[in-house]
Amino acid sequence: MTTRALPRELVAQLIRDLKRRGVDYADVRAESLLHESLVAEEGRVSSISLFESAGVGIRVLLNGSWGFASTPHVTRQNLTKTLAHAIELAKACALINKQPRPLTPVKPAKVHHASRFDIDPFDVPLSKKLDYLLWANTTLLGPDTIKRATTHMDFFKRHKLFCSTEGARIEQTLIESGGGLEVVAQSGHEVQTRSYPNSHHGALAQAGYEYVKSLDLVGGAKTAQEEVLQLLRAEPPRAGETTIILDPTQVVMQLHESCGHPVELDRALGQELSYAGGSFLTPEHLGKLRYGSDQVTIVADATVPGGVGSFAYDDEGVPAQRVELVHKGRFVGYLNSRESAARLQLAASGGAMRADGWSVPPLVRMTNVNLEPGQATLDELYHGVTHGYLLSTNKSWSIDDRRLNFQFTTEIGWEIVNGKVGAVVKNPLYTGITPKFWGRCTGVGRRTDWRLWGVPNCAKGEPMQLMHVGHGSSFARFDGTTVAPAK
Amino acid sequence: MIGHARLLGTLSKLVKRTKADGVSIAAHAKVRRVFRFAYEAIHQDVLQETIDVTVKVLRERRVGVASAETLTPDGLTRCVKAAMTIAQHSPVQADLPDLPSRHRIQFSDDYIAETARISPVACVASLKRLMQLCKGAGATLAGSFVTGADEFAVANSAGVACYTASTVSGAKLVTMYRKLSGYVSGVHCDVTRLDLHDLLKRSLSQSLSQEEPVTLPLGNYEVILEPEAVSELVTWLGYTAFGAKSVQERTSFMAGRMGEQLMAPELTIYDDGMESSSLRLPFDFEGTPKQRVTFIEKGQASGIVYDSLYGARFGHVSTGHAMPATETEGPFPLHLGIASGTAKVSEMIRRCKRGLLIPRFHYVNGLLNPREALMTGLTREGTFLIEHGKLSRPVTTMRFTQSLLESFRHVLGVSRERRLIADPSQELGCAIMPTLHLASFAFTGRSET
Repeated sequence: MTTRALPRELVAQLIRDLKRRGVDYADVRAESLLHESLVAEEGRVSSISLFESAGVGIRVLLNGSWGFASTPHVTRQNLTKTLAHAIELAKACALINKQPRPLTPVKPAKVHHASRFDIDPFDVPLSKKLDYLLWANTTLLGPDTIKRATTHMDFFKRHKLFCSTEGARIEQTLIESGGGLEVVAQSGHEVQTRSYPNSHHGALAQAGYEYVKSLDLVGGAKTAQEEVLQLLRAEPPRAGETTIILDPTQVVMQLHESCGHPVELDRALGQELSYAGGSFLTPEHLGKLRYGSDQVTIVADATVPGGVGSFAYDDEGVPAQRVELVHKGRFVGYLNSRESAARLQLAASGGAMRADGWSVPPLVRMTNVNLEPGQATLDELYHGVTHGYLLSTNKSWSIDDRRLNFQFTTEIGWEIVNGKVGAVVKNPLYTGITPKFWGRCTGVGRRTDWRLWGVPNCAKGEPMQLMHVGHGSSFARFDGTTVAPAK
Repeated sequence: MIGHARLLGTLSKLVKRTKADGVSIAAHAKVRRVFRFAYEAIHQDVLQETIDVTVKVLRERRVGVASAETLTPDGLTRCVKAAMTIAQHSPVQADLPDLPSRHRIQFSDDYIAETARISPVACVASLKRLMQLCKGAGATLAGSFVTGADEFAVANSAGVACYTASTVSGAKLVTMYRKLSGYVSGVHCDVTRLDLHDLLKRSLSQSLSQEEPVTLPLGNYEVILEPEAVSELVTWLGYTAFGAKSVQERTSFMAGRMGEQLMAPELTIYDDGMESSSLRLPFDFEGTPKQRVTFIEKGQASGIVYDSLYGARFGHVSTGHAMPATETEGPFPLHLGIASGTAKVSEMIRRCKRGLLIPRFHYVNGLLNPREALMTGLTREGTFLIEHGKLSRPVTTMRFTQSLLESFRHVLGVSRERRLIADPSQELGCAIMPTLHLASFAFTGRSET
């Protein structure tokens, strides 16, 4: 099975029709997606599935109102009907919307772009992928206390065609590959989980099958099994304020929830209030608010190789960019769109409009939101910590509706005593207030320890869209953090 | 709308054409029209039409699954071909159950033409009126309004051929006045019975307080949780505890505790896909009729949901809770309910000396320790302090970290009145929940204003 051919001629015809209908602006996105998912559980393949999606979404701006309609039935007749629906919606909304809706300018591009990969995962024989999946899975098994062993692989191939009434014509092919494992052990009432190399399917990259091979799932399975058994016997952390060091797998979630979401400009302007909430980073704080310590520089980088938030052009035809969000602790930038950038009177969009498929309109989304590396080695981060914890691999996450009060648990922690890593601790929980927490960041690891991960299920919008976004980080140290056992 | 004859006819033809030991095809066609608004403008309006078809084939006790968003003969043929290829590469499954055979399906009639056909102009006119009313009250409005239709069909080679259609409408309203916000949501299969003005009135009642929000000390509080807050907690229980897979894997708090008194006798928690006031779905994605399953019967652990695979593993029949064959998390309850009690919410408030009234939570996460149903989350709009039997002041955002097993052991009241909770622009499923009065809930953190 391959992705379906894009309906290039039909899309061109739609653009001609839209111009004829006198819309202020319109774009048409045709997308075709193939997703292969492989799962093995308890030593056997439990699920192989292939998902194919294709359709067209039409977005119209007319008299200050948007209208968006989509269809999977890609025929001339259906698309004409869908176009009419989009215009009808925009016209209806004009009953309420009285203000013009300017867009920042963009030079219409005409390009083909394909993401880099060495091995197309859809060309790799299924039997070869399954052999690797099973090898890792069986490595997890053995002790009676192991109650669940899951290994998985996911591969995505997305073809996108974007055309606008301004003359843009952009074709992109993006390939993603990922894999990982999770093991659950139980002894009495104690149940513990350990994932590798990251939880929540976070080992996902814009790459080919070579990325999955590089993950060393078999070696990771051995470590995960050892650690989950240690967790069954481990003590919880002591409650109190202390220093924590987050490894890159957990910095991912910290960045995602406490920086990536609050810098979405549509959210900051109140457009997510009824669902995901607002943001404490409202426009009057731009350029002024101290978000973190001098150690903290955070960027949204849609150009970083391998990131699942990377592309050549976003879903309104704006070129991929690297945008500073936090510069040495100061809040300096938003993720935005042509419309929201215009509302802040910015010269251009930062290129963060993304849709999770053809059936929904693009929203302001994270690309790859990364904590820039610092200078410290891991030993230097440990240095001076009389008592603290190294925490790894996100287990649970929660943050308030303005993105201030957060609480995370991780799968595992290690005690740090007098600068040395010691015993494993189970059920670690830490909590804080976003700018205070980042304000106590006293060290960020160096580039050699910096890693890029994926979050493949970032939920936002109504209808809900699940976006693939990336986060890169090294280790990071935070003093004066409230830690407790999750109980 | 695709229609009974075309959708089921297409699936049945495909079943007949597919040369395998067994084939099961499920389809979900969905239309959603969503308006999102804030500060007197509609910033997003969407007409979304989707179709998901999942094909599962059985060949020599091997399974192949493929899915596609298409109903075209070409697309479906490709999908079947992919499923057949996958089956060739799949391992033999000794415990593979037979496909469900034809059952008597109780049909629901929840397709309301007025909802399916409502025009964009009519929707926008309703929203304009709401905005004017809100402005008249001195408040600002944000929210979303959704209408839509769903069609489900399942056909298999063992004789299953079932179809159902329904409509849905819903609204979420956030009203903002000075430092306060109010929130309500409503849902109904008939848009003409979705009372937007009543929703607005309820939301305004939360936000139009003249009192400044108070920041409370952390600790344990008596709480009165309104249906939406209860739904958020119990939906997490559905995810982490009430499905056969989580019991098999021992991560569910129900594992090994069947028959034990885990909660207060006032609580009966169940799933019922055919409850009359819910968003009904008569059968699951295998075409098995939905059975009512009671998870907690007067506080005792009493049951879990199964699909055909986990039913076979547990020696139990399927309860009609199969999810699409592409899903790997096992059977799942989509129509949760807590049985009505006898209390009135006004009495609950009157009996409470010091506590919190909480309409909904924000960002609940139930993965902290599922064996103890340990969860965290935050309060949001409309939370009020209760003092000496009366609502006294709005409360700033607080975080709870609480074992639901512990909290649900000490129930002070369950309301007679229940509400249907659903988010039709988001996910499948709904819940019918009462207001719960709980003796203690641990608040472990607070946000900043």
